[in-house]
Amino acid sequence: MRRSTCLLTLVGLLTAFPAGLQAQDRRLAERLDPVTANSVQHLVDSARASSLPTEPLVQKALEGSTMGASGDRIRAAVEALLGQLGRARDALGGRASEGELTAAAGALRAGLPAGSLRQLHDIRSGQSLVVPISVLTDLVAEGVPAEQATRQVFDLAREGRSDAEFVELRRRVQLQRGGTPRIPQPPDRPATAPAADPPSER
Amino acid sequence: MPADHSHELQDETLRRAVAELRRPVALDPEIDAATLRRIRTQAPRPPGQPWWRSGRAAVTLAAGVLLVLFLRAPASEHMMNGARPVELRLVAPAGSRVVVVGDFNDWDPAATPLRPTGEPGVWKVELRLKPGRYHYTFLVDQRQWVRDPSEPPVPLTDFGTPMSVLTVS
Repeated sequence: MRRSTCLLTLVGLLTAFPAGLQAQDRRLAERLDPVTANSVQHLVDSARASSLPTEPLVQKALEGSTMGASGDRIRAAVEALLGQLGRARDALGGRASEGELTAAAGALRAGLPAGSLRQLHDIRSGQSLVVPISVLTDLVAEGVPAEQATRQVFDLAREGRSDAEFVELRRRVQLQRGGTPRIPQPPDRPATAPAADPPSER
Repeated sequence: MPADHSHELQDETLRRAVAELRRPVALDPEIDAATLRRIRTQAPRPPGQPWWRSGRAAVTLAAGVLLVLFLRAPASEHMMNGARPVELRLVAPAGSRVVVVGDFNDWDPAATPLRPTGEPGVWKVELRLKPGRYHYTFLVDQRQWVRDPSEPPVPLTDFGTPMSVLTVS
């Protein structure tokens, strides 16, 4: 009995306190130089200790690695994202999901005020905020003035509209602005516009 | 004078009893196995063997390690249960190889190649993604980054590469 108790305690400690015992994320070690990997891992550990999602930070570092960015630039990008995730949690509260925090961090980065996110959270209480926040961010990215985009999204939220209706709003705006929006769940979606973006600075 | 057969009768009875007792008893093999299991369970640990080297402790520890590994599995496994089908397409007539990198595949250029659809210059790939928001971009011929024009752009990318954002609801 005592043995079982010891083993269960050991397993419990490993499960409950992974930050202290977990080794560096294998992906960071494989894709980044040791100095950058260590500094990013430190930020990841900080996020975990603050109960913030860690996977977006790892993905940001891997993105930088694939784009050939310098270690300093990767660390700075991960650090900035960590700050945005923290501000997103302040706006949405401690019960926000990882998806909501990630979406909200993107909204803050796009220049939307934290107060708008808090207000949306209050309006759409009890429902996922991932799609409304994403659509709000996308509208601003498409060039819709933040005030107008916020009003449109808030109106839908007050009316209790579904996620699909938020996506439809974004599709309409894209069409108005001459974009080529994705048709939802196409079996044979029409081809998109030809690739025309210039090469990166890589 | 009549013959006394009482001794013969007793000898015969005794012989039969002995034969019966000597006959091997066929036991159910499960009884043997159960008895041996019980003996092994109750057997004292060999002197000098630590408790953690006993079979039961090893099994419990292995189960615990598996549990911890399961709980710590990276959340980046987006292509798994609860995922929804998403098709990405790109028109790249001059390209001979197109891949997509993004939050869903650890930004690994070797992970998710697109394949020609049969229409000239059109490439596509089908993914299964969990609901969420994903940044991604295409890489044509290992040298040209191309964002998906059918999804909103990421206005401020950290590393200067054109990128799109996909929301799976």
